[in-house]
Amino acid sequence: MQNKIADNVLVKKLFGWSSTRKLQNAMTFSVILFLFRLVFPDNLSFNPLFVSLSEVLLLLAFYFITLYVLDFIQEKKHSPLSIILNAGILNALIFFILSVISPVFNDIFGRAGNNGNFLYSLAAIFLSFLFIVAMAYNFSVFRTLFFLKQKRNPSFYFNTMTGFFIAASLAGTISFLHVELSDFKTALFIVSLLLITLNSIRTSWIAFLTKKEKMYLLIISVVMSILFGINIGLSNSGNLFVTQALTQFSPALHEFLVLMMSYGCIYFSVVFFTTLFHMPTAEAFDRKAQEVSSLMDLSRLMTQVFDFKELAETVTDITMKVCNSDSAWLVSGENGELNLNAVKNIGYIEADKITSTLSKKYGLKNITSVKTVSLDKLKPSGLSPLQGETASGEALSTDFRILAVSPLKVHDEINGYLIAARKSEDPFDDDDQKSIGAFADYAAVAIEQAKLLAESLEKERMEKELDVAREIQYKILPDKTPEVENMQVSALFVPAFEVGGDYYDFFRLGGDRLGFVIADVSGKGIPAAFIMAEVKGIFESLARLIESPREVLVKANEVLRSSLDKKSFVTVVYGVLEVKTGRVFLSRAGHSPVLLVRRDVIEEVKPCGMGLGLDFSSNFSNSLEETEIKLKENDILLLYTDGIPESKNAEMEDFGYERLNKVILDNAGAPIDLISKRIMKEVAVFSQGKPQHDDITLVIFKWTKQN
Amino acid sequence: MVDFNVETRENSHVNVVNLHGYLDAHTAPELEDVFTKLIDDKKFKVVVNFEDLAYISSAGLGVFMAYVETMRENEGDIKFSNMSPKIYNIFDLLGFPLLYEFYKDEKEAVQKFNEKS
Repeated sequence: MQNKIADNVLVKKLFGWSSTRKLQNAMTFSVILFLFRLVFPDNLSFNPLFVSLSEVLLLLAFYFITLYVLDFIQEKKHSPLSIILNAGILNALIFFILSVISPVFNDIFGRAGNNGNFLYSLAAIFLSFLFIVAMAYNFSVFRTLFFLKQKRNPSFYFNTMTGFFIAASLAGTISFLHVELSDFKTALFIVSLLLITLNSIRTSWIAFLTKKEKMYLLIISVVMSILFGINIGLSNSGNLFVTQALTQFSPALHEFLVLMMSYGCIYFSVVFFTTLFHMPTAEAFDRKAQEVSSLMDLSRLMTQVFDFKELAETVTDITMKVCNSDSAWLVSGENGELNLNAVKNIGYIEADKITSTLSKKYGLKNITSVKTVSLDKLKPSGLSPLQGETASGEALSTDFRILAVSPLKVHDEINGYLIAARKSEDPFDDDDQKSIGAFADYAAVAIEQAKLLAESLEKERMEKELDVAREIQYKILPDKTPEVENMQVSALFVPAFEVGGDYYDFFRLGGDRLGFVIADVSGKGIPAAFIMAEVKGIFESLARLIESPREVLVKANEVLRSSLDKKSFVTVVYGVLEVKTGRVFLSRAGHSPVLLVRRDVIEEVKPCGMGLGLDFSSNFSNSLEETEIKLKENDILLLYTDGIPESKNAEMEDFGYERLNKVILDNAGAPIDLISKRIMKEVAVFSQGKPQHDDITLVIFKWTKQN
Repeated sequence: MVDFNVETRENSHVNVVNLHGYLDAHTAPELEDVFTKLIDDKKFKVVVNFEDLAYISSAGLGVFMAYVETMRENEGDIKFSNMSPKIYNIFDLLGFPLLYEFYKDEKEAVQKFNEKS
């Protein structure tokens, strides 16, 4: 990475060219070179000026082609094997040209000396261009491989070597013109070879290949070094048409070809031996690499996937792969029961048996860190008649021999186990155990996360449910109190966070009568809200049909029988007021008593009666009484639900009846709206901000007629 | 929240259920589980000891209503004992004393069972 950046920065700094610009330059110089050689064919090759000009043009064309090809190869730097394979194909082509095409050309043009032939020149130029591109490609491949996975920037070494390559190649041209200087060429060539050998040692990228890739590379590198070796031989043989044509075109190019072939031969020999030495550690390296990438995958999954099952599958999958186990499964313990999840490569029943045998023999709770268990040892030693039952015997007829068990720990609490099993007797080594431990930790966090998520979803669902229940309740309750002559009416309703099931209502009945009801449905939330709705319906209709409150309640109990479940009940006070006379008839079904305040004295009106839904036999009607009250001026009737006396403070004390009675008496003279406000205020002061846990309903009547 | 817990024990062939703390809509399922288990185990004679119960809500009361029928059908019953006046008042308002037997003392309730059989 660093290298690539360094390279790019360097290239950009020097030239600032885009890849199309590079291609443009490469094409331009190639065309100039092509035309130049076409116009001045090789018979002027002994003129130093033209030769130099030609070589400079060649060098420039080569340079730009290399720049372009280099970009192209850099893109594939993450798969060095494919780069090598491509280079192999190219060099096989060179081999083909050198060994097969050359004799054909030799036959066509006869032995050398046919220099003046235009066709010959054209063929020579084309071949030379082919080799320029091929060498540029080879050079780029070597350069890319050289820089691959290098931590420090080694460009100095490579640039030096490149310098010598150019020098050696140009020395080839010089010695072509002046044969006496060929020793100089040889010296430069040898130095280049030495540098190649030194630089070939930089093959650290091999270590990062997987074992399979290393095997593959081992074979390729043999083939490549042999191929390059043969190509050295072929390109050095002077009587081949191609080498002759190349030398005539440019001695430097020919020299460079030999250098590149040597580079390939040396480099791939080194690669072969390096890979060979990497082979023994290849597997361990693979496993480490896999472990690291598995952990990375897992942590990515954890942040994206909240489904416990999916994570469990991944965990057991990875455990099997990394720890070389034949099967793996997760055990999650809930309420003392062991549940198996993501069971891999083993029958569920078999895994279950192994788990339960393990749990019986060792007690899973005792396993607090990764532990390996040999299944042979789990075999019951003596067959006691009870234990000899096939259950444990069958479990151990399994093919699996060795287990590794790791607890799933979160905050020191174990909520499951990750188990890996092997069929062979190879024990799980330290590394295996460490990885199993690591995966178990992930699984533990995943389980915890899944649990928390489920809880928060449940909470959200409940809150939605509560909203619905509250809405039902508000629709059911009357929106205003009735206007009645001789009577003030006040109603106050304060809902709890969780809908409590309070209900009150007024019914205008025929003959100047007013029906009123206050009720409390047992339970909370939507179920309570539904019953409330039903109770409203029942009273709406019964109040108009039946005159006597007692009979209304008896009938209501019968009707509710079909809809109340066993554990639900409804407490009610139902009464009827004769507006003209001030007579009140009322019955109570399990509800808090009605309070009658008369001249600063509170009297509990508490006719007998059990709650609706408690009993559906004659017990119910037998228990029910009806009371009559004759109201006098300024008499107050107060109906409430148990939310008031059962309001609690931080010490969990009840508000209680005494406090309620005291507030009522203290405010008996006040307007009734004020009385209910004062009561609520007292309750609020008492509970000191502790959330109200049940609905509070308060209905107050005050008789204002003198009689 | 405030704690609630239940424990069951046997007192001369009668199953005593001890209630502690606060029995409300949230903790009632715990008591339901206990009763379900008693029925599964065919233990139908039950005395519920209220000595350590601090509070009971309507949902808590409902639990007894849900199971008493099964107990009675199987020659058993749910009887209540050791109730504080405050808790008894709640049961009383509702009319429970008309349907259930209440005893001051657990021993008395257990005896009552054994007298019958």
